Amino acid sequence: MSAALLFAVGGLTSVGIYLITARSLSQIILGFSLLGHATVLGLLVAGGAAGDAPIAGTAAVADMSNPLPQALALTAIVISFGLTVFLLALAVRQQHLTGDDQVEDDLEDQRIAQGQPAENLPEETTEEITQSIEGGIP
Amino acid sequence: MLWLLFGAHLVGIAAAVLAGRRSMQAGLCAAALAPAATAIWAATRLVEGGDVVSAELVWVDGLDVAISFRADAVALLMTLLVSGVGALVMGYACGYFSSDAKGGSRFGATMLGFSASMLGLVWADSIWTLFIFWEMTSVTSFLLVGHKHTDAAVRLAARRALVITATGGLVLLAGLILLAQNTGSPNLTKLAPISGTEAAVAAALVLIGAATKSAQVPFHVWLPGAMAAPTPVSAYLHSAAMVKAGILLIAVVGPAFGDVAAWKWLGICFGFASVIWGGVGALRHRDAKLILAWGTVSQLGLMFTLFSAGAPKAIFAGVALLFSHALFKAALFLVVGEVDVRTGTRDITQLGGLARSMPLAFVVALLAGASMVGLPPLLGFTAKEAAIEAVLKLSGGTQAVVGVAIIGGSVLTVAYTIRLLYGIFGPGPATSVAPQGYVRRRSWLMAAPAVTLSLAGVVGYAVIGGVNEIVVPAATELNAKAGVYELIAWPGVKTAFVISVLIVITGAVVGVLWIARGSNRIPLSLGADATDGIVDGVISKSPRLIAWIQHGSLPVYLAVMGTVAVLAAAALASDFAGGHLIWWDHPLQAMLAAAVVIAALAAAFVGSRLGAALALGSVGFGVTGLFLVHGAPDLALTQLLVETVVVVGFVLGLGHLARRFPPVTGSWRSVRIMVAAAGGLAVTAALVAAGTNPTGQPPTPDLVAEAVAEGGGKNVVNVILTDLRALDTLGEVVVLATVAIGILALARVRTRPQAQTQES
Repeated sequence: MSAALLFAVGGLTSVGIYLITARSLSQIILGFSLLGHATVLGLLVAGGAAGDAPIAGTAAVADMSNPLPQALALTAIVISFGLTVFLLALAVRQQHLTGDDQVEDDLEDQRIAQGQPAENLPEETTEEITQSIEGGIP
Repeated sequence: MLWLLFGAHLVGIAAAVLAGRRSMQAGLCAAALAPAATAIWAATRLVEGGDVVSAELVWVDGLDVAISFRADAVALLMTLLVSGVGALVMGYACGYFSSDAKGGSRFGATMLGFSASMLGLVWADSIWTLFIFWEMTSVTSFLLVGHKHTDAAVRLAARRALVITATGGLVLLAGLILLAQNTGSPNLTKLAPISGTEAAVAAALVLIGAATKSAQVPFHVWLPGAMAAPTPVSAYLHSAAMVKAGILLIAVVGPAFGDVAAWKWLGICFGFASVIWGGVGALRHRDAKLILAWGTVSQLGLMFTLFSAGAPKAIFAGVALLFSHALFKAALFLVVGEVDVRTGTRDITQLGGLARSMPLAFVVALLAGASMVGLPPLLGFTAKEAAIEAVLKLSGGTQAVVGVAIIGGSVLTVAYTIRLLYGIFGPGPATSVAPQGYVRRRSWLMAAPAVTLSLAGVVGYAVIGGVNEIVVPAATELNAKAGVYELIAWPGVKTAFVISVLIVITGAVVGVLWIARGSNRIPLSLGADATDGIVDGVISKSPRLIAWIQHGSLPVYLAVMGTVAVLAAAALASDFAGGHLIWWDHPLQAMLAAAVVIAALAAAFVGSRLGAALALGSVGFGVTGLFLVHGAPDLALTQLLVETVVVVGFVLGLGHLARRFPPVTGSWRSVRIMVAAAGGLAVTAALVAAGTNPTGQPPTPDLVAEAVAEGGGKNVVNVILTDLRALDTLGEVVVLATVAIGILALARVRTRPQAQTQES
């Protein structure tokens, strides 16, 4: 297990997390992209040591790198590419609508946070109702 | 067969929904069929005997997660009660509701839904099945209590019932998990006796769960409140069926806790407190339904005490009491409901003189009340005799406590029964609201079920052998040694009988004195107000908590999630093993790794968007190099293409965005840096923990051989993608196509705001 690759994975993850906690959507996209790289490298480093390309006939089987994580990683690369490009389109779209690409706080959550009064509260107080139940008698 | 019966209930629910649209009566009639069929099935099974019917649906094999049912003798007894009383009560409800009552679909379907849930609970053979149906009965009970939901008091009562029973359900789940872990099987029939601290904790948790469901003091406050429900619901759920679930539970899991002292004593404490406090409550109240509800708390406490005591005879007496209580208490509820409907009140200080105007109801109430008091020739008498004899068989402290509970509880029972019957049917007060002419016409639909239930007490006494055939096998199922006992119609003048006579005399004196005292004030709520206050407090404070947790800021959410993930990874720190770690596979790898991290930092901290895009490109090309060094040319090729497209896309997209990122400063930035650093470390630690503990060799030789032989290709990675995992690759293509369509849609919409501006 190569410390150099581990360093790359750790570094990319850190910077990725830093970027996805930003306010600007384009920075979040950068962060996702870096996290994608980190994941792919993580798959490789977990799958075994480096070696020759896993192509039959070009090298001894014992010297080849593990092909299984590579196949998984290939899928990961493509999907993270799709995600990055889609987010980019969203950022551009938001720029057109609002003039910037900032991720605003959720409006519904803000409404709750401001403590809007709950609706449909009974006019009687709970103690009165409790007493009426306890007393029985319809 | 069990599936078939469940199916009948499901069909019945659908039928009740459809028929209930026409009228309440139609909905209820449709609903009553399935329970009636189930009751007949249970009765024939009890008479014929034969093998135990069971059914199982394995969900997760190997984890012991299955929906499993088993209709043994105990379950059949309960089935008879649940479905028999259920069918009768649904028939009764046809007369109870006026013909223009609304909500027939809802009421009929929910009643039947409850009935089915209760059957599932009774038949459950695994702890998980039991818990699921346990919670379903809580929910259906909530819906039924809240049937008249336009009334604030009804809503409050329903909420109280749900909060208490559902909280108890969660406590029970914790206890059941502990129990299953310690006995090694979630199967209720295979519970091995457990002991130790964990067993004591499990015992306490299970008992609390059972006590909430069976309305034991101090969790009883929901049951009197639940009297806000229509009377058929009270007669069914809150006397015959649901409140028995807690009793059934402690009876069934009792053997596993036989060696745990906490089980026995905590259970007896719950039961003792409920017997006495419930009896006192029944004397305090003047609403006939509330008197019955408090009486139920008391009677359930009696059963709780007997099953907790755990001796064979006590268990036998508990089963007998369980059976007879369902019959007489349901009958009394039905009579009170009829009185309520026909006179317009349930206040025993206003009622009176109904013995003449409602003679049939009077006879029914007299029979059921006498059975509750424990007079011969009624089934309640034999059950109470069995309970007193069980006390005589106990010894030491257990005998003293259980004895006081049973004798004290029985005295109170006699007293409040006399007060109730006198209040309704005795000589009426001058201001009676129920003069002869006022009472509404009698409906045979209301009379017939009540008559059936009260006559069952007489018939049961007459053919006591038949009742023994139901009760004895059930008791034997719970405790092998309980099978030697049986209910005796006339025991002769023995110690138990003498005690019984003394109880009735003392109770009668207390009852008459209490009636003479004639207190008319409405009793205090005692405990219910505190419960509602707590729930209110939680509800009014929760918006502040939600505002604090759910503030709406995406970056903060992500940072919190990152922190939690880091904490989860902290456990891996101890799993490092040496030996597999090297500095690098190739010196070039170290240089590229350093370059990648530097480029990533640049992408984060450079101020301009163009610079960041170029830095991202550098990271991508560095990673491509790392792939090449690792021996993954396919990855390198793909990454090269992808990275080129992303950088081009970024640069194109940047044309629409501001040139520089908004500046970030302040403490939030420091928090982000800390979370990010910790996240990187955690991922690295997890990888080291995984990588230094390999569990086997890479499957390279097998994959190479298979790729050549089966896939017909030499590039192993390509063969895996296009052949071995072809379906995954197809999915991947679909994702990319979807993304392309999405981007196209987003790009086209762009023109719309401009078009609108031009028009305006």
